[in-house]
Amino acid sequence: MIYDKNQQLVKMINQIAVNNAYDDDLERAADAVASHVRKFWAKSMKQDIRSFAEAGGEGLNDIAKAAVNRI
Amino acid sequence: MIEYYQPQAGQNLAFADIDLGTPAVNSDTTVTMSVDGVEVTVPAGTSVLRAAALAGIQIPKLCASDNLESFGSCRLCAVQIEGRRGMPASCTTPAEEGMKVTTQNDKLATLRRNIMELYISDHPLDCLTCPANGNCELQDMAGVVGLREVRYGFSGDNHLDAEKDHSNPYFSFDPSKCIVCSRCVRACEEVQGTFALTIQGRGFESKVAAGQNEDFLASDCVSCGACVQTCPTSTLMEKSIIDQGQPDHSVVTTCAYCGVGCSFKAEMKGNQLVRMTPYKGGAANHGHSCVKGRFAFGYATHQDRLTTPMIRDSIDQPWKPVSWEDAIQFAADRIKGIQAKYGRESVGGITSSRCTNEETYLVQKLVRAAFGNNNTDTCARVCHSPTGYGLKTTLGESAGTQTFDSVMESDVIMVIGANPTDAHPVFGSLLRKRLRQGAKLIVADPRHIDLLKTPHLGEAIHLPLRPGTNVALVNAMGHVIVTENLENQAFIQNRCDTALYSKWREFIAQERNSPEASESITGVPAAQVRKAARVYAQKGNSAIYYGLGVTEHSQGSTMVMGIANLAMATGNIGRDGVGVNPLRGQNNVQGSCDMGSFPHELPGYQHVGVDELRKNFEQAWGVDIDNEPGLRIPNMFDAAIEGTFKGLYVQGEDIAQSDPNTQHVQKALSSLECLIVQDLFLNETAKYAHVLLPGSSFLEKDGTFTNAERRISRVRRVMPPVAGKQDWEVTQDLSNALGYPMNYGHPSEIMDEISRLTPTFTGVNYQRLEQLGSIQWPCNDDHPVGTPIMHVEDFPIGKGRFVLTEYVPTEERSTRRFPLLLTTGRILSQYNVGAQTRRTDNQIWHDEDVLELHPHDAEERGIRHGDWVGITSRAGDTVMRAVVSSRMQPGVVYTTFHHPGSGANVITTDNSDWATNCPEYKVTAVQVERVTQPSNWQQRHQEFDQQQRHFLNSTTAETGG
Repeated sequence: MIYDKNQQLVKMINQIAVNNAYDDDLERAADAVASHVRKFWAKSMKQDIRSFAEAGGEGLNDIAKAAVNRI
Repeated sequence: MIEYYQPQAGQNLAFADIDLGTPAVNSDTTVTMSVDGVEVTVPAGTSVLRAAALAGIQIPKLCASDNLESFGSCRLCAVQIEGRRGMPASCTTPAEEGMKVTTQNDKLATLRRNIMELYISDHPLDCLTCPANGNCELQDMAGVVGLREVRYGFSGDNHLDAEKDHSNPYFSFDPSKCIVCSRCVRACEEVQGTFALTIQGRGFESKVAAGQNEDFLASDCVSCGACVQTCPTSTLMEKSIIDQGQPDHSVVTTCAYCGVGCSFKAEMKGNQLVRMTPYKGGAANHGHSCVKGRFAFGYATHQDRLTTPMIRDSIDQPWKPVSWEDAIQFAADRIKGIQAKYGRESVGGITSSRCTNEETYLVQKLVRAAFGNNNTDTCARVCHSPTGYGLKTTLGESAGTQTFDSVMESDVIMVIGANPTDAHPVFGSLLRKRLRQGAKLIVADPRHIDLLKTPHLGEAIHLPLRPGTNVALVNAMGHVIVTENLENQAFIQNRCDTALYSKWREFIAQERNSPEASESITGVPAAQVRKAARVYAQKGNSAIYYGLGVTEHSQGSTMVMGIANLAMATGNIGRDGVGVNPLRGQNNVQGSCDMGSFPHELPGYQHVGVDELRKNFEQAWGVDIDNEPGLRIPNMFDAAIEGTFKGLYVQGEDIAQSDPNTQHVQKALSSLECLIVQDLFLNETAKYAHVLLPGSSFLEKDGTFTNAERRISRVRRVMPPVAGKQDWEVTQDLSNALGYPMNYGHPSEIMDEISRLTPTFTGVNYQRLEQLGSIQWPCNDDHPVGTPIMHVEDFPIGKGRFVLTEYVPTEERSTRRFPLLLTTGRILSQYNVGAQTRRTDNQIWHDEDVLELHPHDAEERGIRHGDWVGITSRAGDTVMRAVVSSRMQPGVVYTTFHHPGSGANVITTDNSDWATNCPEYKVTAVQVERVTQPSNWQQRHQEFDQQQRHFLNSTTAETGG
């Protein structure tokens, strides 16, 4: 497996998103994901995912994209 | 024998060292009787033998023991009862109101002497050279009854030439000494539940036989030691005692193997441990044990133990033995250098779930206070972190709800993704006892686990689900409970957040969550799921016990919450016999989590981001603590490969073997500039280290462990540390060298600090532990003697919170390239990475990891039992021997990870639980094929291993260490 740090973070936050995607309510889901990331991710990981999103955020699902802005 | 540690109070402990003859009886009514004129009041149904013992009168006995039902075979315990004829056996005679019992007079004395005379007429008179000499009930009874002659002579028919059986590595069976009291047979049935022993033949031909008259090793015997423990002669005797003689003193301590946390007496001669015997006063085990705790302690004195601190600049260099001071200074300089160059966040630490609470607390304190960041984590990350997350979210506390004994009140026992008879054997025995009494069993597991083969088990429901589909299954059960109106509405209305409940109800009732809809996902017939749900919801007290088969999934946390939802919906929380019970893998997983090992939580699960909680610690420790969580173990690996994480302090954990995707871990460890490993042995991780600090085994230090039922028990030092320091002293030295002062004189001072800072621990201190024997947290002003059952009145978060548990399939699924699903687990004789058990005679049972597969999958690939097979996943490949087994379902293969060379974790992937990053060990898509040679990784690993051993051995040879 080829390792890519950003891809790892994308995979993680997308996974958090699909596990919090209840009711298809994007706003609420994004809040839940952002809250989870705030509570459990290290500072450096939060910074990295923010920079990655700002640079286009390819591969982030919709909820994850919305969540990154709220971290 | 001198016994250190005399408990001062507590029901469990008052008679911990006296055999009361027959088991305790629970009854609401009591009877009062007199024994030799002494009045005694006991629960109705108690035997006269026990009543007498409680009154302080020991009636002679041989076939009776208070962990076995009365048997009435030896007749030595005969008594006379006023108004009754004859001399009944007191063990089988229930105490009655007003009964007047005489335990000693001339008639009784003659009877007892005659009985002993008969016994001894067929018993060797080699007491002086017998290993039981000095600790033999038969000898004691001969003395007590005053046996002076054997009128029958010794020339008649006898068993003195019976053949010995030495097949078991830990104990011998010498039938010439056997008095056929059946205690061993009954212990195997009643205490252990294995039924491996029997009495073969009748009358004079009667003899104890293992299995179908096999030797012990070939029989079903699991070497728990219960038979050896109960044998009143030297018929069943530990080989260590045969070799070394009887111990001269003993110390009560806590086992360092699994999360059951059994109490043992470490029986010593000087500083030598000669035997571990389970302690009757231990509230987790009540005098029972398993092959690991009872016998597998030889690792502590194994020649592989590291005895000298060592350092080196890079991992391709030999080790240089140095003094403790030099090693600590070298480590501190390196860490400071790295932080100066790469920043404060570039280093971290991993606490051990095998070390004590006090040691774990110190390591996380060192990380937060001396390193100045929150990069601390523990191996619970890779096992029960989803339990912490899931139970805290739903029930408000990151811990199991029950005490082990609670299972004896259960009517339905549901076991999900756990294999208690292998991984938690002593609790497994208790569970089997309850199943024999008629409790219903539901097992959700891809494999047909041994619990389903419990002798005298009634009908059990097995839900053989596909790996990775737990959440679909638990949702289907929830669906049945809701749509068939099986909920406990009173509990929900009183105890739960009803708005959240309504949302959950609406979600779970949807058709896609029905057993019929999820049958194609889980592979479990809908009718079976419906039946299981009805049994769980309707048959009285229902308890769920679960293990890593729940947590180690991409939806591990979701599954934990799904389980909590079921328990809340049916009101199975807050009393004996019910609950949600994680079975913890390692001895102190619960403790390491409690002690603030996680990067986001301070001790007592207090989040670093909450100012008022963090402030308490900042004040007590005199430092600023980062208010952001630190890196978790897998994040540390990623950051190491990225180049931002350069230094790691690992205490008592072997991440290079136990963590998934081995090649990724190896790459990460190779990227570090300073890896400090503190361990008993040169483990896989230590081969990548720059500083080796010798660890101390549980026999060499003081402290506490916390087991799966939140029970804090004392670990007591019985011998000096092999390398001179207890683990907590080493951490303290490192902290001081880093410039953050620590000055603890004894682990009790560390516990005092913990209890000042942790609301659930305020009542815990060593003095109270001495008094009570053990304490289940929360222990504070509200619960001064601890809390066996949680959530009785309310939840710590007020109302229980239902959580929506949408099933999200794992990305890891079988494909044409990888058509099988691999799941991993444990076996009875080995423990975790095997560092301890591989250095004992337990190897005889499992000296290599094997791949179990279903006959159909084997046949399709031309694989026969014993063939070498290559196992390939997208992460890597390895080679093991095949075992064809119908325990497996087609399409699923299974292995263990106890041996480093088998590389089970080379195959497991970087998939993990969405909430906690707990690795998905239980689902890996693989292909399996016949091969003729080890994998490339194994060949590389072998070379590397040889080189690193050479670096160590050449060093120790030079120094004569």
